[in-house]
Amino acid sequence: MTAQAEQPAGAAAGGQRRRLPAPSLREAGIIALFALIVFTLPWWLTAIGGYEALATKIAIWAIFALGFDILLGFTGYLSFGHAAFFGVAAYTTGLMFKHVSGDVVLALLVSIVVIAVLAAVLGVLTLRRAGIYFAILTLAFAQMFHAAALSIFQEWTGGDNGLTMSTKPALFGLPMQGLNVFYVVAVLLVIGFVAARQIKRSSLGLMLRAIKENSMRLQYTGVNVWRYKMIAYMISAMYAGVAGSLMVVYEPYVATKFLHWSTSGEVVIMSVIGGVNTLIGPMIGAGFMLYFENVVQAFIGEKWKLILGLIFVLIVVFLPGGFVDGFNRIRRALGIRTKPRRPNVPDAPETMSRYHDSKNTPAQTGSDN
Amino acid sequence: MASQAATRTEPGPAAAAGRAAEMGETLLDVQGVSKSFAGLKALSDINLQVKRGSIHAIIGPNGAGKSTLLNCLIGLLRPDEGSVTFDGRPLVGMQPHKIIQRGIARVFQTPQIFPALSLQENVAIAALAKRDGQFALTPHESLRPGHPMMKEAAYQLERVGLGDMLDMAAQNLSRGDKRRLEMAICLAAHPKLLLLDEPTAGMSRHDTNRTIDLLQKISETGMTKIVIEHDMHVVFSLAERVTVLHQGTIIADGKPEQVRGDPKVEEAYLGGAHE
Amino acid sequence: MDFDALFTLILTGFQKASIIALIALGLSLIFGTLGVVNFAHGAIYMVATYFAVYLVNQIGFFAALILVPPIMFILGIAMERGLIRYFYDRPHTDQILVTFGAAIVIQEVLKALFGANNIPFAYPSWGLGPLPLHEYLPFLDSVWFPKWQLLLIVVMLVTAGAIFALLQFTRFGLVVRAGMRDPLMLRFLGINITQKFTLVFGLGALIAGIAGVFGGPVTQVNPEVGMHQLVPSFLVVVIGGMGSLSGALVAALLLGMALSFSADYSAIQQIAIYLVAAIVLLVRPRGLLGQKGVME
Repeated sequence: MTAQAEQPAGAAAGGQRRRLPAPSLREAGIIALFALIVFTLPWWLTAIGGYEALATKIAIWAIFALGFDILLGFTGYLSFGHAAFFGVAAYTTGLMFKHVSGDVVLALLVSIVVIAVLAAVLGVLTLRRAGIYFAILTLAFAQMFHAAALSIFQEWTGGDNGLTMSTKPALFGLPMQGLNVFYVVAVLLVIGFVAARQIKRSSLGLMLRAIKENSMRLQYTGVNVWRYKMIAYMISAMYAGVAGSLMVVYEPYVATKFLHWSTSGEVVIMSVIGGVNTLIGPMIGAGFMLYFENVVQAFIGEKWKLILGLIFVLIVVFLPGGFVDGFNRIRRALGIRTKPRRPNVPDAPETMSRYHDSKNTPAQTGSDN
Repeated sequence: MASQAATRTEPGPAAAAGRAAEMGETLLDVQGVSKSFAGLKALSDINLQVKRGSIHAIIGPNGAGKSTLLNCLIGLLRPDEGSVTFDGRPLVGMQPHKIIQRGIARVFQTPQIFPALSLQENVAIAALAKRDGQFALTPHESLRPGHPMMKEAAYQLERVGLGDMLDMAAQNLSRGDKRRLEMAICLAAHPKLLLLDEPTAGMSRHDTNRTIDLLQKISETGMTKIVIEHDMHVVFSLAERVTVLHQGTIIADGKPEQVRGDPKVEEAYLGGAHE
Repeated sequence: MDFDALFTLILTGFQKASIIALIALGLSLIFGTLGVVNFAHGAIYMVATYFAVYLVNQIGFFAALILVPPIMFILGIAMERGLIRYFYDRPHTDQILVTFGAAIVIQEVLKALFGANNIPFAYPSWGLGPLPLHEYLPFLDSVWFPKWQLLLIVVMLVTAGAIFALLQFTRFGLVVRAGMRDPLMLRFLGINITQKFTLVFGLGALIAGIAGVFGGPVTQVNPEVGMHQLVPSFLVVVIGGMGSLSGALVAALLLGMALSFSADYSAIQQIAIYLVAAIVLLVRPRGLLGQKGVME
């Protein structure tokens, strides 16, 4: 792995590209900055009206949303059923705590394995066809788990009342309470972020992103698209599973709501509001949504969900790239150079103007050359 | 796995034909293929041999059954009768990606590329697919600009004349350049057979000529090409052998000069000999 | 099992299928013609039930019957004009997202206006009670079936029949059917497809309106109803085959039967629909009556 800063041959973005430091150094810097923000979350969140426990919840959902972006952002597949992974992992962890031991590591590992198997099965059922089928089917099968938890598995799940336990979870003997929980979650979040970024820049990540761009072309390049879809699905499921598991570490109670479509909907909403395919966006969306729910609600009461729903619709209609895209547009309008990369939003014509000075004629003339 | 062949200009169809004649092998063998859809006979008793290393054109007016034949040729459609053998093995009923892995690359009527990815990324995908086969779990492998697959991509892009636009988003290319990009994607797969599905459809005269030049330029030894076309100019500039399809049957099959003078062909093309 | 019991089970199957069938019909129509997956369709049904219960309580049932479908038709047109049409050229994911968002907003608006609690939708007095079917059908021994549920079945069959007649025998229907097969072709023929789209969406909403009027007493009226009806309706469309109206109906019936016959096994009943979906999709991915290549 080379560490030099190689200028890509013939960068067409104009000659004034600033010299970037070596990629691995830049990467370390980004991770460090991210870790800093995450680890200090309880403090600056409190400063803006939040509270410590909220920081933990935000971090948990950030993990959920991060994994979700690997599926939606990279491959473009919209799952409305990730609550299944979140909830099943939560129940698995809860049951582990209740009937086996309060060992967090063990519960996490078991949960991840269960989720991997579940994702494999659901993936076979839902991934064979195009995105529309997938969205509907994932919603349906998640609802199945919800219904099952309320009926067939009532004995284990506690049905409507939820699963309660008296075990105090512990990580290597360290009791999971207060800030301890937050740090465990924060560490996992940072690890998850590093992993996600690595996937994004890897050859695997390229294949996943190709699925979203043109899965037919990918197929006709000899790639088994289905297998890559499965991998993306399973990875995102495992992130959701870790999040669900941590939820129970945070608060030893599992509600059937964890399996409800609204939970699936929440991760979709936060990902889109934040900005899909940016990794950072969905996490920002998670923070925003939870902040809205827990802090802003105090001011505007029950209507917070309606306001959030309206924000969601407005973003889908007018700013599909989410907050991150909005942020970038502001930066561009102010003249601050953003990364000279291709847009992650399907219809963002701004980039065309950047390349007018190349000898390529603009594409919108419609002529062939 | 960067190809060692330098950008060599093919001396012309004649020499390539000569070479193929030496090898004498049939790459694609179609025997007695028929296909019907809901009572309509799209193909009747098609017999066709494509010689290894040659440039073979399949032409015919619209509705002649070219698309159906194409899909049968690469195994996407199962013929009702007959057989298709590619490189000695049957080719029917396989999933598209498996067919491609056998050594076929396809250029589509409308250039199929990965719009939001850079040109280099576009071609790197093909290079990776060639290296890894249908699937590989490689989350650890970072694709920095100096990576061998990226370098291979840069090389292929250079060959088609897009070498100075590596970082550009593919969707910003003109249509003609998108076609070249697609060509580079196909080349990176080092296919045995390159299938071109009306590559000059909807192109201006200027662009068509550039495409012809490109096709001649990129000929790799041993790479067979099948061109589905109905632009005569393209066909007669490029092909060593021409098969003419009309209403599902082959009405002529031979060297371009032979086909050109064939009265049956003229009749089939009445009023639409060339653009 | 004796014939009476079997007959009752089958009839119950039809009844359980009715509301879902109507919602699925609208969904399938909208998807088949516009190509839009309308995640807000359950919410549209829900809005209809709210309108219906209001009119029933204020005026009477027949007022609801006469007013709700046209109101829903207009609302459907408004929704298509105001929101949906801007998404025809956008990727399917965006269409799903915006309709999902609309569903959430509708749900929350209803909650804000009328509260989260259930609004009781009473059966009209003439619709209460069971009907002695054996008095009309000589081959039955002694079968009692609730009047309202019978009415539901009739409404479903009549509405489905009317839609099919509309599609089969009118020019509008011809255009819609052609559009379901090949929308691009219609544009080339110069037919004003956008106008048709608006009408189809309105039609879908109208059908949901009918479903709301008669289904209200069954599904009840609260902000959860929308999504609750959406999932099985979607599944039914998928099982039946995307783009096939008859498929949606057949699948709805299949589902209804599954629910009816598994009533004694309540655990299975809950997940019956999902099992059926999984089995059908594994065995026949395109759905029961779906066309090959549609969304495959």
